[in-house]
Amino acid sequence: MSNNRFTGRLLTAAAVAALAAGTLSACGSSSAGSSSDGGKEASSMYTWITNDSDRAQWQAFVDAAKEKDPEFNLALEGPSFNDYWTKVKTRLSSSGAPCIITTQAARTQELKDLTVPLDELAKSNNIDVSMYNKAMIDGLTVDGTLRGIPYDAEPVVLYYNKDLLAAAGVKEPTLSYTTEQFSADLKALTKEGVTGLAVPPGFASGPGLALAFANGNEPVKDAKLDLTNAGLVKDQQFAFDLVAKEKVANAPQASDGTDVPEQQFMSGKAAMIIDGPWMYETLTTKTQGKVGIAVVPSDSGESTGMIQGSAFAIAASCKDKEAAFKNIMKITTPEVVGAVGAARGTVPSVDSAVKDWAANKPASDVAVVEALLKSGRPLVTTPSWNQVETTFSQYSGEGFRGSKSAQEILSTISNSAK
Amino acid sequence: MTALPTLAVKNGKKPTAITGHGRLAAAYLAPGMLGFLIFIVLPLIASLVISLFDWPLFGAPEFVGLDNYVRMLSGDPVFWTVLGNTLFFAVCYTVLNLVLALGLSTWLHNLGSWGPFFRVLFFIPVVTPMVANALVWRLMLTDDGVVNSFLANFGIAGPSWLSDSQLAMGSLIAMSVWQGVGYNIIVLGAGLNSISPNLLEAARIDGAGPWQRFFQVVLPMLSPSLFFCTVMTIIGSFKVFTQPYLLTLGGPGESTNTIVLYLYRNGFSFDKLGYASALAWALFVIVMLITALQFSQQKRLVNYDN
Repeated sequence: MSNNRFTGRLLTAAAVAALAAGTLSACGSSSAGSSSDGGKEASSMYTWITNDSDRAQWQAFVDAAKEKDPEFNLALEGPSFNDYWTKVKTRLSSSGAPCIITTQAARTQELKDLTVPLDELAKSNNIDVSMYNKAMIDGLTVDGTLRGIPYDAEPVVLYYNKDLLAAAGVKEPTLSYTTEQFSADLKALTKEGVTGLAVPPGFASGPGLALAFANGNEPVKDAKLDLTNAGLVKDQQFAFDLVAKEKVANAPQASDGTDVPEQQFMSGKAAMIIDGPWMYETLTTKTQGKVGIAVVPSDSGESTGMIQGSAFAIAASCKDKEAAFKNIMKITTPEVVGAVGAARGTVPSVDSAVKDWAANKPASDVAVVEALLKSGRPLVTTPSWNQVETTFSQYSGEGFRGSKSAQEILSTISNSAK
Repeated sequence: MTALPTLAVKNGKKPTAITGHGRLAAAYLAPGMLGFLIFIVLPLIASLVISLFDWPLFGAPEFVGLDNYVRMLSGDPVFWTVLGNTLFFAVCYTVLNLVLALGLSTWLHNLGSWGPFFRVLFFIPVVTPMVANALVWRLMLTDDGVVNSFLANFGIAGPSWLSDSQLAMGSLIAMSVWQGVGYNIIVLGAGLNSISPNLLEAARIDGAGPWQRFFQVVLPMLSPSLFFCTVMTIIGSFKVFTQPYLLTLGGPGESTNTIVLYLYRNGFSFDKLGYASALAWALFVIVMLITALQFSQQKRLVNYDN
């Protein structure tokens, strides 16, 4: 009887253990099971989906491609933009990973081990990649091989609030704008609770790097960080001084995202902001006052555009690269990138499709983007760029408050992110 | 009480019941031990192995032996800075937390019917997500936030609480104490409730004043609770992450960068999982040593007599 009772207890304990283990495993496998079907993964895309707007953008590519191929579809999955650059590495290490991923020209070096060269695939499919924006193709090239097909090419521009400029008696900038005039205008605009400029704490998103690009100074030379070159240091110091000495902008907090200065601009508390064309729809429709765009100022007035943009790439783990490439080519035709540009505001990566994006925009704004696309250079980075960005945000507060110089900050970053 | 074992020895029989209970106990323990093995032991071993490699998030790891540890101890000045920051945070946070919790729990113990209400009030930040707490404090402490707007009413230009390297760590400590003090108030409150009123009455009759009763009766009787709070608070303080991650990003400069934030970034932002694992092991060893030191002093400092 005692043995029976013991056996009963043991069975009960085993059943509870099995139930617990079952529950745990059920919790751990809530996501869909992996598939060994290479075809399924070839029509799956891992990308950033921060919100409904992102999802709508990717869906716009699919919908535009369906115009030509009604059977076309892409399964989408992915985290928010901020998490994407970490999670894409872990996702592609696991089984059943999507074949298509999104990348940016500025991140191509960082993700080079995740992606495959597309040159042979382009050649065998008779794709002429020269139709895409040259700066983007240059930015997506690693060790002489192309790693992505770009869908947009976005030169950073200067947004300004026309109403605030008119109230301060400042002439609207256009295709030629000197830093001297820029500085004088910002001083004139800073009054009565309004600052001349809104600035984020980041490096690529901040004013310093865009101003450096405008003057032809870049952060990477021969695939190595070149943060302490005299031109870049001078332009970054100029940006710091606008805040710390000239007091024409509020010093950002390290933890501020780009949304904080964008909010300042949209609420009419800042008259100008340096940002990408991907913010065009938002900034022109939600700002208190009319908005125009101009080139980023430079010492001479003639500006070199800093082109950022995104692309579709094929994961190194993909089993059916040919099918994945064919799917990518369906969503990067001039017709598709033009349609997405018209619907979502992204500047198309194909010159002939820019007219679709430009259709409902003021001619002066279109002229600015076209000029910067023509003169633009890609933002090329290194594999340690994430460290550069993170450390810059951490240190920039001291630069914008005048307690450290651009030389000190950029030297520190350069040494730590070797 | 000793009858059963004696009987077993006298009869010279094998204690079958004990064996049977052992199996049953093992069966009951199995799920918990399995979880401990999978979620604690295996990750510990894995992180030790990873720390010996140059291990990217994607791609083939490369064995580097003790290079990550050598680099941490001799080639990375940021490690010593973040270690110093973490120690400074741990000491200030633990001392402030315990002193405040002791004072408040004693006050609440003698407050009467309002005591439970305030106890709940102080506990609310503990159960509120840290992220929400940090965002509220960020709104308060930004340059044009609530605190500086309030000071502006009196003509005072408030400082940059989160962007001045002299003030940023203090701001993080203040926020952390506000967030964590409620837990210790509950633990110490329970300790105070378990002290016999007769003991305090006897001390009063013997002529002991309020301070004498507190330091010579209450504090020794509360020492087990205080010991528990000290150990848990110190361990928690070494793991500080969310506050600098959300409020300051570790800046300005490295002034609020802590060891967990630094290892997180190395692992998941800078793609250096091997180095991050070495940092994790350094933290593990430091916390183990400090906890062992505390337990070695337990008999000397803690009174378990009722």
